[in-house]
Amino acid sequence: MRKVYSLILTVTMLGAMLAGCSGGSGNGNNTGGNTPPSDASQPSNDAAEPTGEASGKSIKLEVIETGNNLPSPDKDMIKQELDKALNIDLNLTVYPSGDDYKNQLNVRMASGNFPDLFMVDRQQLIQFSKQGLLLDLTPYLDKLQKTVDFIGEDSVKKGTVDGKVFAVSKSPQIPYNTYWIRKDWLDKLQLAVPTTIEELAKAAEAFTKQDPDGNGKPDTIGLTGGKLGAFGPVFGAFGVGGPGTFYEKDGAIVNSLYDPAMKDALTFIQQMVAAGSVDPELLANSGLQHQEKAIKGQAGIVYLDWPNMTKEQFVEQIKTVNPNAEWLQIAAPAGPGGQFDGTWDIGASPGRFAIPKALEKDPEKLQRIFDLLNYISDPAGGSMLVQFGVKDTHYTLEGDVPKMTDKAGEVGHSWLYQFTGRPEMEYLQAKFALQSKEIQFSNDQPRIETLGGFIDNPEGYNPADGDRYIEEEFAKFIYNKRPIAEYDDFVKTLESSMNYKALMDSATEQLKALGFGG
Amino acid sequence: MVRSWDDKIFNTIVYVILGLCGLAAILPILYVVSVSITPFGEVLRNGGFILFPREITFSAYRTLLTESNIPSAFRVTVLITVIGTAVNIVLTGLMAYPLSRKNLPGRNVFLLMIVFTLLFSGGLIPTYLVVKSLGLLDSIWAMILPNAIWSFNVLIMKSFFEGLPEELFESARMDGAKEFRILLQIVAPLSIPVLLTVGLFYLVGHWNEFFQAIFYVTDRTLFPLQVVVREILMQSQQPLENAENMMPTQTMQMASVMIASLPVIIVYPFLQKHFTKGMLLGSIKG
Amino acid sequence: MRTGQLETNAPRMQPASQTKLQSALKAFWRFRAFYVMLLPGVIYFIVFRYFPMYGVIIAFKDFSIMDGITGSAWADPWFKHFQAFYESPYFSQLLTNTLLISCYKLIWGTFPPIIVAILLNECRIRWLKSIVQTLTYMPHFLSWVIIFGILLTLFSQNGGLVNRWIVEMGGESIPFLTSTEYFRSILVGSEIWQNLGWGAIIYLAAMAGIDPTLYEAAKVDGASRMRMIWHITLPGIRSIIVLLFVLKLGHLLDAGFDQIYILYNIQVYPVADILDTWVYRTGLQQLNFSLASAVGLFKSVIGLILVLGANRVAKKWGESIW
Repeated sequence: MRKVYSLILTVTMLGAMLAGCSGGSGNGNNTGGNTPPSDASQPSNDAAEPTGEASGKSIKLEVIETGNNLPSPDKDMIKQELDKALNIDLNLTVYPSGDDYKNQLNVRMASGNFPDLFMVDRQQLIQFSKQGLLLDLTPYLDKLQKTVDFIGEDSVKKGTVDGKVFAVSKSPQIPYNTYWIRKDWLDKLQLAVPTTIEELAKAAEAFTKQDPDGNGKPDTIGLTGGKLGAFGPVFGAFGVGGPGTFYEKDGAIVNSLYDPAMKDALTFIQQMVAAGSVDPELLANSGLQHQEKAIKGQAGIVYLDWPNMTKEQFVEQIKTVNPNAEWLQIAAPAGPGGQFDGTWDIGASPGRFAIPKALEKDPEKLQRIFDLLNYISDPAGGSMLVQFGVKDTHYTLEGDVPKMTDKAGEVGHSWLYQFTGRPEMEYLQAKFALQSKEIQFSNDQPRIETLGGFIDNPEGYNPADGDRYIEEEFAKFIYNKRPIAEYDDFVKTLESSMNYKALMDSATEQLKALGFGG
Repeated sequence: MVRSWDDKIFNTIVYVILGLCGLAAILPILYVVSVSITPFGEVLRNGGFILFPREITFSAYRTLLTESNIPSAFRVTVLITVIGTAVNIVLTGLMAYPLSRKNLPGRNVFLLMIVFTLLFSGGLIPTYLVVKSLGLLDSIWAMILPNAIWSFNVLIMKSFFEGLPEELFESARMDGAKEFRILLQIVAPLSIPVLLTVGLFYLVGHWNEFFQAIFYVTDRTLFPLQVVVREILMQSQQPLENAENMMPTQTMQMASVMIASLPVIIVYPFLQKHFTKGMLLGSIKG
Repeated sequence: MRTGQLETNAPRMQPASQTKLQSALKAFWRFRAFYVMLLPGVIYFIVFRYFPMYGVIIAFKDFSIMDGITGSAWADPWFKHFQAFYESPYFSQLLTNTLLISCYKLIWGTFPPIIVAILLNECRIRWLKSIVQTLTYMPHFLSWVIIFGILLTLFSQNGGLVNRWIVEMGGESIPFLTSTEYFRSILVGSEIWQNLGWGAIIYLAAMAGIDPTLYEAAKVDGASRMRMIWHITLPGIRSIIVLLFVLKLGHLLDAGFDQIYILYNIQVYPVADILDTWVYRTGLQQLNFSLASAVGLFKSVIGLILVLGANRVAKKWGESIW
């Protein structure tokens, strides 16, 4: 009886408190909404910075994004140079974990404690802009001319929601991934470099069964990679993208799951798996486990990006494990559907940066942010700085071509300041001069251009459930735990139970509106 | 005679099981230590597995201690841990002692209030708003005050206090001692094991602090150790976004784990002697 | 003054209730020192724990960051987000997995630390005790990322030590980490391993509080070591065992997000996907705070019911928390 009594008491106490709180915080939040929330947060910033606002003095700018290895401000040459050039105090904070970053940004937005410039993904861009938290950049585009010129019209579109520009999207990247194969293993087994998927499967099988490392133990595997991505070029050889991707085929919008060639691709992959030539833990590879397996000499073929294969650090590791190891970058193998080195999402953005709407009320600060964005986008201004560091210290110019000096390590973090991106090819060629061949090679591979980045998930479709179902059933097909004859049933269940139909309809509509599919 | 024979068997069983537990714990730890002092190429050459390093290098440690933010983060962590644990112990003790008196009116309400918070929380955003409105953002207090009392530890301490013999309090009250003095001079000295246990929980909690730091602190100079270590560990879980991204090697990861946990591990053996069976209570009563 | 006013205003007030009030005030005064001690803690709980609790209402709202927690519109119907959760095709699987993994951890995880604590307590060789105590305490400081690395070197299908050994003995390698058969055992086993020594600390502290004269008396009576453990040590730590068990029950629907999130993969989803991992994928990654909050509230309510129920049972043994 007493327990019930005390329970009631607690609940009443709680209730009273809740009532009290919601009133109080309601006010807090309303001020956050109606009057510029920056009023609440700014004074503290300015207090910390006595020179703020006063005149043309240094203004403190706070930028947050994901990233890592940012040095402390006293060692951060890029920050110091930017501060000097723009009369600002640039305070960059980076979060190594994407989740931590998202959470941090969300609480700050919710509490009106806005950073001045922050990274957003497409989902956040849509939600924040719809809730009126982001500054509409459309009227300011003339002030951002240099930035716009730098990132290009296509990138401007990627920061656009309902016809208004709410974010600056970085200039586009280029693809890095290709198949890599152990040339020394091929030679030992007297196999030619595979050019078709049949040859690829044969090489993978031989790598598994014919003891290519000659240690007398069956401890090698043929193909590895990060999850289903390992089969990107195999799907490509059938002319289909990875599961669930959208692309144009013969002038129509296609989802790979509905592509008739998908079944053939699955059958082929299932046979490869059945032959034992694929990493049995392929679908569990997280992070860089597949790369590690390749370096350790366990796997003979890996689908990997050039940095993780050819950067000095890794080359050294490969040579330590086996001085004779020789990894060869190969073109996508051909198949019945052509020759495509996986997919490349032309709608994706390498990163988007937004400005809070609250800054509307602070034109002086806003101007500095524009100055910053324009400066780092200006080839005659700070673009070189955020790419290569300080001229004649970290790099020298030989004609037009920048060459890194041995002090370049000091500004290894300069990419963190590339809020508007970089001219990808030239940049990589200069920064990774040793790898320039591989960079060019992977960029030259034909890829199926997918459109996922243009599609926003419709209400009523839960991508978490849908993705899980697709991945799970694909795993079953590949491991022959479900016959491929049931593929059509799988698609039917996906449509009915997971509401995939809603996504299909909405995606088609969205893509048509952008002019795809005829 | 029979008795000592039994005793011997019993002891042997105890030692064997303890030995196995120790072994189960030490092998993986040995692996972590070994990888942290072996060049990574060497690790890979051994298929990723090394128990006894043949080639030793402390370069990972050197890099971490000279080129990363670890030294300054270390100072922050020590500061939070020392101040935080002191605050925790005082507040928890002050709460647990009255609640251990079964005749205290309203005791159940308070206890239920504490248990309730173990299960329900308002979530991130409202808590952030509280911390912000108290002006704690970007200060070490943001990493101390929001967790000044753990409900769990109050309950533990309270439960221990309840186990103290009632006569102790009665004789003290007859002396006319005031409650604060009873707590300080009688209860606290008799509760060293639980104070140390709860203190250890708090200490380890502060030492492993990163969650609040990530949310409430943006000033890099105030980041505690675990944030820096997490940065190193998380990178290995992230997909490649930038060609420049230097993935820390496993050697580096293991070294960072060692640096971050060695100090708390060393603390423990020093506390152990205070857990000796019945030592304190016996001496008082006897 | 105030009492006087009360009397004039309500002259016919029953004397019974008055004496009740008076005795309550008297009791309050008698225990005033205790209430003063409680004050800082209570203030803490109100400010940092109870004040933010209005946040749970976002489970019933369509939360918009701009409008804030109180300003966001109410969900229509009010159980919309609970419904979204319930209607997921995976709902029953998620609930089953969560309960199973959690129960296994509760059942298998409760005894090993107690046994280790008793063994350490019985250990007559001081250096062995000290070393084992410290060693078993260390794994607690390894994060799951690191433990995952260790598990891979041990159990990976290609190159894992255990499988290498199995293959060398002429067996077939076993997919410990990717098959639904073994995954839960790996989860439970690695958790027990991680917390063996850490979990024992609290029992060791409890044993330190046992009156040593009890053991001496038992020895005089010729009791064996096993009998002493059974009749003195275990009863001495009973209240702590019950307390920990009841509190763990409250978290029955947390099956260990950090661990599972790092260790699981698509092939073991059918046995490893739990409420928290689903919420993470569905709610947080897609900025659906209300859904996350609804599931959180659901978990808390179940937890509260379990704790209240367990405490009632415990009370029958005289070991209740309150």
